[in-house]
Amino acid sequence: MKKVMYLEFERCIGCRSCQAACRECGGHDAKERNYVEYIDFFESRQTFPMMCMQCKDPACAKVCPANAIQITEEGVVLSAMEEKCIGCRNCTFGCPFGIPKFDFEENKMYKCDMCYDRTKYDISPMCASVCPSDAIRFIDHDEMMELRRRRTQMNLIEGKKPSENDKWQYVPEFFGVYSD
Amino acid sequence: MKAIEKSFNSKASMNSFFVVIFLFFTMWIGTGQFTKVDWMLFGYMVASFIFFIGMTVRLTSWVMRPATHEMIKRSIQNMKAKKRQKRNVKAIIKTLIDNIILQKYIFKRGIYRGIQHWLIAWGCIGSLAITFGLTFGWMHFKLVDATTYQVVVFGVPTLKMHPDGLLAGLIFEGLNITATMLLIGVIMAIVRRIKNHDTQVTQRAEFDLVPLYILLAMTGTGLLLTVSYKLLGGWMHPQFQLLHQVTTVLFLVYFPFGKLFHLPIRPMAVAVPMNYQEEPGIDTKECVGCGELYSSDDQITDVQTILGKQMFDFKTNDGHQLSDYCPACRRKIRVMSQLNMKTPFGTSAEPVQTNNGIHIPGFGRERAETFYDAKGEK
Ligand code: SF4
Ligand code: SF4
Repeated sequence: MKKVMYLEFERCIGCRSCQAACRECGGHDAKERNYVEYIDFFESRQTFPMMCMQCKDPACAKVCPANAIQITEEGVVLSAMEEKCIGCRNCTFGCPFGIPKFDFEENKMYKCDMCYDRTKYDISPMCASVCPSDAIRFIDHDEMMELRRRRTQMNLIEGKKPSENDKWQYVPEFFGVYSD
Repeated sequence: MKAIEKSFNSKASMNSFFVVIFLFFTMWIGTGQFTKVDWMLFGYMVASFIFFIGMTVRLTSWVMRPATHEMIKRSIQNMKAKKRQKRNVKAIIKTLIDNIILQKYIFKRGIYRGIQHWLIAWGCIGSLAITFGLTFGWMHFKLVDATTYQVVVFGVPTLKMHPDGLLAGLIFEGLNITATMLLIGVIMAIVRRIKNHDTQVTQRAEFDLVPLYILLAMTGTGLLLTVSYKLLGGWMHPQFQLLHQVTTVLFLVYFPFGKLFHLPIRPMAVAVPMNYQEEPGIDTKECVGCGELYSSDDQITDVQTILGKQMFDFKTNDGHQLSDYCPACRRKIRVMSQLNMKTPFGTSAEPVQTNNGIHIPGFGRERAETFYDAKGEK
């Protein structure tokens, strides 16, 4: 995989297209696996999209007692294998970002797998392909670095002012699996 | 115990050794000190030994994972606790009936899948039980007089029956019944995989498909045997027998490494109602951020222990752990730290470091002396 996911939370306009797209994906059973939520509803109407970070060392997989969460050779962290998942929800509580969802009816966990069947071939995941405001993008690693570099110069963030030493901590998240 | 473990290459080899010894012992009893071994079944017998060794190796490594270990530890604790007996019994009975015997949750994923899985599961368990019973000589039939058969289990004579009776019919046809169940189930499973493209996404051939095709070959040749001696007067019987033996050996040897390995894992589902969630969907622990109920105290304690054992550091600035917050709060924490807003998770917006740099060494290699030293310190 040559491309990465790039999230700019404040670009989100709360249209929830990404969730609709996610529901449409094959095998998702019309249930979305991503989130669009308010940062602080009493402060502003700002929303943010949220999906799995595809951690290099995924806490969800490490707390799963059934070893049901598999990682592909590219590094994508997949939904629980249906035959192994015993439905304990350890993964939901272990994940630092609260990503895995749980289906009590069918007794299984399901989570964002970055549309592995698409991204495997460098095709944009469902959510990124429909986002009208580019809050979610699926782009080349170089393009992402360029965007981040520009952001560090623009210094968009309020509050504590980024300095030369830590400016990289203030640019939006990118994730996904890529090899340089 | 430590000395014994040290004399083996690994825990897995130690456990396998004991399992093999135990199997030989049961064989010794069952076959009357090896006098009644059915040499026709020798190939199956060797494969059955390999099956048990494979299962032991896989289960040993599985139980050694911190997450599994922690869950089993808590289950054992709760089993012993006097106060929880009522809950334990209820959890065990409910899981046994709903999840294992009836497999209700699979029927909720679809009637087709439910029927398919139920047939394969019980066909498999039944066939394995009969196969092991016969190959290890745990059970055999004795002719008492011209019209009475007796089932001998571990050398102890039990039931007597008439060879044409219903019970005898069921027992003699046992493998045919389970094989028919398997055949229908496997064909349903293969049809589903061919027709439904969604199932192909995360499937790996060697894990998902190979076991199914081996299963198909095994049941197919097994039933052909029956057809051959019942309907075709033994036509090609020896050839079919060889084929069936080869496919069965393949099946048994491959079993611990394909998707069918979930069979011995499933019973752990009992830990969920027993340890964590008495009633499905009802939580008891409050989120320290928003007060929403999202889990139970015991489960969060276990998750934090497991994370700690694997060097994950998810401490927040307010002295809690990220798992003390509900999933929704955790998602907010991630965004707010990214946007440099005030969150409990430290003042810096540094993304959470999720790579601990620790890699688990492969299996089968001899352990370093330091492993035992570290264990001894505790
Ligand atoms: S679910 Fe959570 S822990 Fe697992 S890979 Fe995704 S972000 Fe990481
Ligand atoms: S809910 Fe399933 S995938 Fe999640 S930790 Fe439990 S067994 Fe593993």
